[in-house]
Amino acid sequence: MFFLALSTLRARKGAFAGAFVALMCAAALVTACGALLETGLRGRIPTERYAGTPLLVTADQELHRVERKGDKTKDKAKALTERAWLDAGTADRLTALPGVRAVVPELTFPAEVLAPAGRAAGGSSWGHAWESAVLTPFGLDAGRAPAADDEIVLDAAAARSAGAGVGGTVTVQSGAAPAAYRVVGVVSPAGGRPARQSALFFTAGEARRLAGRPGQVAAVGLLTEPGADLAAVRARAVAALAGTTAEVRSGDALGPAEFLAAGKARVKLVSMGAAMGGTSLLVALLVVTGTFSLSVQQRVRELALLRAIGATPRQLRRTVGREALVVGLLAGLPGAVAGLALAGWLHRRFLAIGALPDTLHLLLSPFPPVAAVLATLLAGWGAARVSARRPARVHPTEGLAEAAAPRARPGAGRLVAGVLAAVGYVVLVLVLSGLHTDAGATPVTFLSVVLAAVATALLGPSAVRFATTVLGRVVQALSPSAGFLAAQNARASAQRLAAVVTPLSLAVAMASTILFTQTTASHAAGEQVRAGTTAPYVLAAAGPGVPGAAAEAVRGVPGVVAVTEVVRSTVYAGPDRFPAQGVTPRGLGRTMDPEVTAGSLDAMGEDTVALSRLAADTRRATVGGTLPVTLGDGVTVPLRVVAVYERGLGFGDLLLPLGVLAAHVDNPLASSVLVAGTATREELAAAARPFPAVRILGRAELDAVRSAQAGSQAQVNYVAMGLIIAFTGIAVVNTLVMATAARRREFALLRLIGTTGRQVRAMLRWETLMVVLLSVGLGSAVAYATLAAYSTGMTGAARPYAPPLTYLGVVAAAAALAFVATALPARLALRADAAGAIGARE
Amino acid sequence: MPKIFSSSARPAAAPDRTAGSRPEAAVSLSSVTKVYGRGAATVHALRGVSVDIPRGSFTAVMGPSGSGKSTFLHCAAGLDRPTGGTVTLGGSELTGLDETRLTRLRRDRIGFVFQAFNLMPSLTVLQNITLPLRLAGRRPDRAWLAEIVERVGLADRTGHRPAELSGGQQQRVAVARALVTRPEVVFGDEPTGALDTVTAKEVLGLLRQTVDELGQTVVMVTHDPVAASYADTVLFLADGALADALTAPTAELVADRMSRLGAWA
Repeated sequence: MFFLALSTLRARKGAFAGAFVALMCAAALVTACGALLETGLRGRIPTERYAGTPLLVTADQELHRVERKGDKTKDKAKALTERAWLDAGTADRLTALPGVRAVVPELTFPAEVLAPAGRAAGGSSWGHAWESAVLTPFGLDAGRAPAADDEIVLDAAAARSAGAGVGGTVTVQSGAAPAAYRVVGVVSPAGGRPARQSALFFTAGEARRLAGRPGQVAAVGLLTEPGADLAAVRARAVAALAGTTAEVRSGDALGPAEFLAAGKARVKLVSMGAAMGGTSLLVALLVVTGTFSLSVQQRVRELALLRAIGATPRQLRRTVGREALVVGLLAGLPGAVAGLALAGWLHRRFLAIGALPDTLHLLLSPFPPVAAVLATLLAGWGAARVSARRPARVHPTEGLAEAAAPRARPGAGRLVAGVLAAVGYVVLVLVLSGLHTDAGATPVTFLSVVLAAVATALLGPSAVRFATTVLGRVVQALSPSAGFLAAQNARASAQRLAAVVTPLSLAVAMASTILFTQTTASHAAGEQVRAGTTAPYVLAAAGPGVPGAAAEAVRGVPGVVAVTEVVRSTVYAGPDRFPAQGVTPRGLGRTMDPEVTAGSLDAMGEDTVALSRLAADTRRATVGGTLPVTLGDGVTVPLRVVAVYERGLGFGDLLLPLGVLAAHVDNPLASSVLVAGTATREELAAAARPFPAVRILGRAELDAVRSAQAGSQAQVNYVAMGLIIAFTGIAVVNTLVMATAARRREFALLRLIGTTGRQVRAMLRWETLMVVLLSVGLGSAVAYATLAAYSTGMTGAARPYAPPLTYLGVVAAAAALAFVATALPARLALRADAAGAIGARE
Repeated sequence: MPKIFSSSARPAAAPDRTAGSRPEAAVSLSSVTKVYGRGAATVHALRGVSVDIPRGSFTAVMGPSGSGKSTFLHCAAGLDRPTGGTVTLGGSELTGLDETRLTRLRRDRIGFVFQAFNLMPSLTVLQNITLPLRLAGRRPDRAWLAEIVERVGLADRTGHRPAELSGGQQQRVAVARALVTRPEVVFGDEPTGALDTVTAKEVLGLLRQTVDELGQTVVMVTHDPVAASYADTVLFLADGALADALTAPTAELVADRMSRLGAWA
């Protein structure tokens, strides 16, 4: 059957162009997603700071839980969001090991050089004790090591950007108040490799004070004797640490310990790559099936002739399948290559947004392209076989009829599958209304939209027929000539219309869902913050945060009634992750009102916690009970529940006392400080003058700050799903062009009986209008249902928020796409000579 | 050319008419009925038609529009299933077969020529002719192939595509394809309907030749009395039933019978 497939392909290149484009884009998308996924799974994070350290002992950066299901126990591990610290005594266990030349304790804490204007110099910056400079190793370019607590050694990059050299003075902002230090030395890493981070070195005592973790170290580096067997030393170290949860890392495992953000990004990439890849594969399958259906429909007469000559249905299906394989291979190969380029572009965009740290390198391996080509082949072959099922069984006499009318009733199998898909969509929507976290809800929203599109594709003709009857009457009334033709055409060719409505409604539904899940969540959170922040002024800072000393200074201003510092982190309660805020307990009720429904915020004190209703329901906690909370760095503390409140989106799911939370985060500086009282902005500004990075904001400006912080995740979703929407848009154009181009004979006939070109184009515009109305209606309905469920899950109320202008933009874009994709091929078709065209074979 | 891959046991020359070795009728219909639609929209296309088409004959089927002649042809050729009655082709009963077996039978033992759209536009003349054999997975008998290509007069056009041929040439290719499997019967559904009189005569002459020189059985639906005059027998259908039969027809006789049937009222 190959020769038949090949000759058909050669003769009908134009008809297969649509399928070719669809498959190529599908291959590119799947390759790009696969590359991202693989980067997340196997991407290397090269280490900088520990380049000269053969073995590094770190704390366990994962939270372990044993889950018991029946009689099976599973050890589950979840990543901690802050750096876990080691007990300082761990170093003692390792000093006497044979093969170990030196045991170097490492302290890492945020420390930035403040430039004169108040804004810190760019890039991430960390402070360390001078003894640990040997881990990289850093060598002195100028000056000497720090001897007094007010002396500091900068690395060359930090010195350059701060404009300071040996003998100068710099102000450093760390977890404590900003302080001035004398620069006594400048170092640079051996080998001269440019660093993605700045390093500041203090004396050991000063470093311990600034780190704020008494009795703990961030890591312990082991330097080995020259010629020592690394594996043996490592084994000895592991044995020496038996009984603790410390880990011994070497080689590629050092990078993730140094760059926690990159480790987090890897996890994000895996989930995003999988979600995107899965969604794009499903969308590709849908699109390719639609394209092949259309092309097979247009060849019904040819297939009927083959049936009459003696081709069995199986032979026809095999021919169509082989055509699809050839097209799939021809399209998949360049598509996969394009996909690798696309992966690079995606990576650069994510870097630019700030969603990925540049320490995570993109991994390009042959697996994703090969997998993508195979997936494309399979999708194309499957789609072609499915779309050829009905036509292959057509009776030759029906197919050869002069006016080949498509079968009126869809097959039972198709109806059943369509109903199943619709039921699946409803189930997913119900599930969605119970999901409370973005990480869980996002893939479900996309999957539900795709399922709705599948249901549309399967049940399309039946639904379209009904809708066009109603719409058709309206159109007919509005335009008795062109509209009448359009209405009749729509009713008669429900299958073609359904094939066009499916990708357009999918595009509208997807775009709306992606855009408006973001706005819904953001709007709900913003509303909660607006309603719940009773303090008139807020301190915010460019850079790591507002130092505690600034809050103290403001507390001293007369007229200030309460000052609440807010530190953000993520904590675990049991197996669930929650965003949490650490707040100053005193005067809490004056600055924020999270809508307390049980208990009272006045009872906030040491070892207490207030929960959002969502968190309380999830953990089945009540006021007065005790809830063990695992803080960001893995330390678990039991806390007494004192209040339950409603506004979890705006104020985090857990409110903890500042002292409890801030001792267990990487960056203990407050992200914002709420100030309540009668003091004016000028008085507050005067109090904050010694801290140049701190600004005074009014309540209204707080919203802008908050949305800027939340923006990066939204942008990632936009970029990722923008690709899928683009693909769907290509499918829309594809389908419309194919459908219009195939009606050449119909247009020729109309012109021969006296319809002017303008009237034919008007008829097409009415038809397109009906298609757009149907698609937008269907897509919006699906999006609304999904968004309402999402909103219910996230906020507890079904109130999706869609800015009207954005929605109109989506509708306008869909309409423009449809009209252009119909008008251009129509013009081409109408330009042909009518009398010749009417006799032309397809 | 040695007949290494002979596609059939029968020789290329005129077949021997040994009485009793094969059933006399090439195609035999017995009380065949065909009904379309339901309830008030029921259409009785055929009402209990029984007829035997003898082997090696040229039969024309005529009738006014709506008489069921196309339906008759489709049922006889296994392109459509009758609602009642049986159709037997060369000893095999068509009516009980499933779709796949019916298709195989069509492929191997029936040739069909339509009025238009006979050829696959993407294949050459030669590929179109050998298509039924390819579908069966059989190699063409080179000698036989050369003979029919010669007979239809397209030996110099074997590499061309249908778009490069005239209407008459396309019909001749269709005839060649119909003959390539040496079928029991060649069915034609108004094969000359779209041709001018000169070309039509060429194609009809070709069909006549296959009957006379190759012993082929041909059944042809037509509305043209001139075309019918090439046949040995003309069957007249009216209202789904056999109304009349005419042997040794001339164009005038046929036209006369047709007008009596009210064809051109």
